Amino acid sequence: MNTNLRNIAIENSDTIVQMWLEKIDSLKGEEFRFSTSDELFENTNREFVNVIFTSIKQQGSLIEVITFSEKLITLGWPLSYITDGLQLFRRVTIDYILSNSDQVDTNFFSAVLTSVDKWVEPIIHQLINEYTGSWEHILSIQRIALQELSAPLIPVTDGITIMPLIGTIDTERAKQIMENLLDGVIKHNSEVVLIDITGVPVVDTMVAHHIIQAAEAVRLIGSNCILVGIRPEIAQTIVNLGIDLTNLPTKSSLKKGFITALEMTNRKVINLKPMEDGIEEMINSIQGE
Amino acid sequence: MSIPILKLYNYLLISIQTEIDDKTAIQFQEDLLDKIHKTGATGVVIDLTSVDIIDSFIAKVLGDVITMSDLMGAKVVLTGIQPAVAMTLIDLGIHLQNVATALDLEQGLIKLYQELRV
Repeated sequence: MNTNLRNIAIENSDTIVQMWLEKIDSLKGEEFRFSTSDELFENTNREFVNVIFTSIKQQGSLIEVITFSEKLITLGWPLSYITDGLQLFRRVTIDYILSNSDQVDTNFFSAVLTSVDKWVEPIIHQLINEYTGSWEHILSIQRIALQELSAPLIPVTDGITIMPLIGTIDTERAKQIMENLLDGVIKHNSEVVLIDITGVPVVDTMVAHHIIQAAEAVRLIGSNCILVGIRPEIAQTIVNLGIDLTNLPTKSSLKKGFITALEMTNRKVINLKPMEDGIEEMINSIQGE
Repeated sequence: MSIPILKLYNYLLISIQTEIDDKTAIQFQEDLLDKIHKTGATGVVIDLTSVDIIDSFIAKVLGDVITMSDLMGAKVVLTGIQPAVAMTLIDLGIHLQNVATALDLEQGLIKLYQELRV
């Protein structure tokens, strides 16, 4: 019975494919139509049904499906399109088989349903597995990338290190910031660390608490911390929330903070040549021509 | 097991190399104050580079020793606190607010020298 049905499907594959291709066109979403050329669309659809039939012929072999799904993922085809296409295939096949047979009893009907399900289900499963697998992979890569970016530490000169913070700070990230900060201070032997919060959109009590804790810990290991990049709205929030930052030196910009840091390490920035000398030199060289 | 206290000119150097238990800590407190009294030292550096764990009691004793030494006219600097130790202390809510700290022994001595000269 089962083989019988399979033979019917395989023998009439051309008709089924034709029916399927006619219907699949309506599934093609608007946004999808623009991103893919008609030719590519046609080819992939053909390959799609071929893969389905190969799988049916080889009694459920999924090797073709795996290669095909990898190709789809690289092309960026939406999973919903593929599952819809498979459901459509199931419907078309069932319709075809039923319309071309004279038996109409319930047994035959359920046998057709079961066997068609058996052909289609493994393919759907495999495709969904491949898709979610690739999504999870991307997600984990992005998480690692995010972690790498979350607490960078830049040693600028001897004894001065900068930690630029960008984006929202949550408890997990705050912990990482503190670890990186302390390890970095020891590693680079920095006397002053500048924490730049220019890129932190919101400073609430929790974020402030984390920053104060980090600064305290830095002080404990024998270094100094300056909080820089406090924007006007951040200053307002801090005062309105009643956060006490008196123990933590603060500066409005990284530039000012850096100058303070240089002062703390008994250094300063000087111009090698006064500005006037440069202008005079320029005038002289013009006159010489 | 007592902790050795070394004298260098006007300063006392202490490098804590073992895990400190409560008894050692108390013993150390007495020893240091005695030594300050005997030598008339004006500065003390306590180096914690090889200390991996500080609990709240040890932290309290350290804080006390520092206040006591201050009373006796000796300025104390803590040096070489490990990142993990600093994090534990902050988590425990021990901020050692009025304690001078430095990255290593060298910078600790420089700090003492600068503060005592003023």
